[in-house]
Amino acid sequence: MKNNNLLKKIIHKTIVYVLLSLFALLMMGPFLWLVSVSLMPGKNIFAFPPAILPTFIDFKNYIEVWEYMDFLKYIWNTVIITFLGVTLSILFSAITAYPLAVFKFKGRNFVFLLLVSTMIIPAAAGLVVNYLTINKLGLINTFTGVILPTLVSVFNVFLFRQAFMGIPVDIRDSGKMDGASEFRIWCQLMMPMIKPAIAVVALFEFMQNWNMFLWPIIVLDTEKYPLASALSFLNGQFSYNFGWIAAGTVISVLPIIIVFIFTQKYYMEGISGAVKG
Amino acid sequence: MGKKRTIGFSRFSEVQTAWLFMAPGLILLALFTFWPIIFSLPLAFTNYSVIGETSFVGLENFKRAFADVDFIASIKNSLFYMIVVPFIQIISIFMAILVNRNIAGIKFFRTAYYIPVVTSMVAVAIIWGWLMSSNGVLNYLLMATGLISEKVNWLSDKDTALWALMFITLWKGLGYYMMIYLAGLQAVPTDCIEAAKIDGASNFQVIRKITIPLLKPYIFFCTLISLMGAIRVFDEVFVLTSGGPGNATLTSSVYIYQQGFEKFEFGFSSALGLIVSCIIMVFSIFVFVFNKKGGVNPY
Repeated sequence: MKNNNLLKKIIHKTIVYVLLSLFALLMMGPFLWLVSVSLMPGKNIFAFPPAILPTFIDFKNYIEVWEYMDFLKYIWNTVIITFLGVTLSILFSAITAYPLAVFKFKGRNFVFLLLVSTMIIPAAAGLVVNYLTINKLGLINTFTGVILPTLVSVFNVFLFRQAFMGIPVDIRDSGKMDGASEFRIWCQLMMPMIKPAIAVVALFEFMQNWNMFLWPIIVLDTEKYPLASALSFLNGQFSYNFGWIAAGTVISVLPIIIVFIFTQKYYMEGISGAVKG
Repeated sequence: MGKKRTIGFSRFSEVQTAWLFMAPGLILLALFTFWPIIFSLPLAFTNYSVIGETSFVGLENFKRAFADVDFIASIKNSLFYMIVVPFIQIISIFMAILVNRNIAGIKFFRTAYYIPVVTSMVAVAIIWGWLMSSNGVLNYLLMATGLISEKVNWLSDKDTALWALMFITLWKGLGYYMMIYLAGLQAVPTDCIEAAKIDGASNFQVIRKITIPLLKPYIFFCTLISLMGAIRVFDEVFVLTSGGPGNATLTSSVYIYQQGFEKFEFGFSSALGLIVSCIIMVFSIFVFVFNKKGGVNPY
């Protein structure tokens, strides 16, 4: 009887691990194959049967695409866009969320209604009008023009509001006792208290800004493209040179994967928190 | 919070401070979220484009839209794309159940499943574009295992192209939804499941009678998100097929983009945007109401 149970447990565990590995292969396999293609210059990926595992390792593709594409420039563009997008998004969303969490004022419900309605109203038609607006503001071909339309997301505002509501009222009162202005209370007392929420928004925004490709193509000239836009450009220009594109793709996805692996703890907590909130 | 406080000096009243704080955010929202909706209304009734004089054309754009074979096809494709939604829920719930256990290496698997979510759609589209080409790895594997007997050109055959794109959408999204369902599963009280097991319920019964009902709010959330994503699908189509072959994979977002930014017909594009917006709104309201009425499970 006991043996039987043990056997059952072992079989159960084996099945679980087999299934887990199959899914892992499905999700990771394409990336691993990409890496292997990027390391085999001169190999035709469309040869049949295709080369799946690397038979030799050579970094020629990386060196060539790095020299040809001026990747450093595109990485720099992406870093600036991402940095601006993440920091400004946190500031704008947090300062918008703060009064909604701590004040009772006329029109609060109206603001709520406005915010919720943006979640139902789709932005399908927004692209053209936003382009015209950015053009009017003289922000074509600027990084500001890239980040401005997506700076305030309702999702972030709600997440921050939830976080501010979790702070005890005493803290704000003590700030008032000391004669601090509301703005100082917000940035010196409240903001440090919502660090976990800030981390979550930072990660979401990092992902979104880093991977943005369509809007930058519309707003920017080629030499100001971020990585994802540059990659789609590279794919259009050199579709015959798989090795280059593979190497370029690896270069463009590596930073975000590394950032994710190091911050995943917050990220996963953030997702569950966001759904409940 | 509700009490009136008179301690401390402030030049502004609470109401003024509130609006002052919200002003930058609300201005941006007004400019880039509400203005597009408001402004595309009048724009949709004009022939505004980069060339020629702009004039009021009445319902011309809408008449043209409903007579436009490509636009009708794009709406059909966008609606068809929603087939991906139930598949996403079923597979990602299955994955969530699979990773919701404390065994060695489980963190590695969770991370591995999530990696497609954090990478850009451009990169994903490039990889799958190669894998799915007629001499690609996918055909090789499928033929080696005997599942297909001859090469299929997944993305350039009009019968398979839309399905291939849907698969890529599914593949990239699974990790995200799995994580949400995992959060839901971890909120399910374990004693509840143990009690059922003591009463002799099988694993399958536990999932069907306890896990799924408790996951319902999460299923609702994920359905709504993936439905919106599916009907608006753009990136993967834009990078891989730009709507082709013919109009087999033309989705409404791609068509609106093409009219606006490749043909520069801003007026017509706005009209298309309005029509699609209306359809999407009807769907989201439908899902909301459907869920509210006695909490009907969408599946």
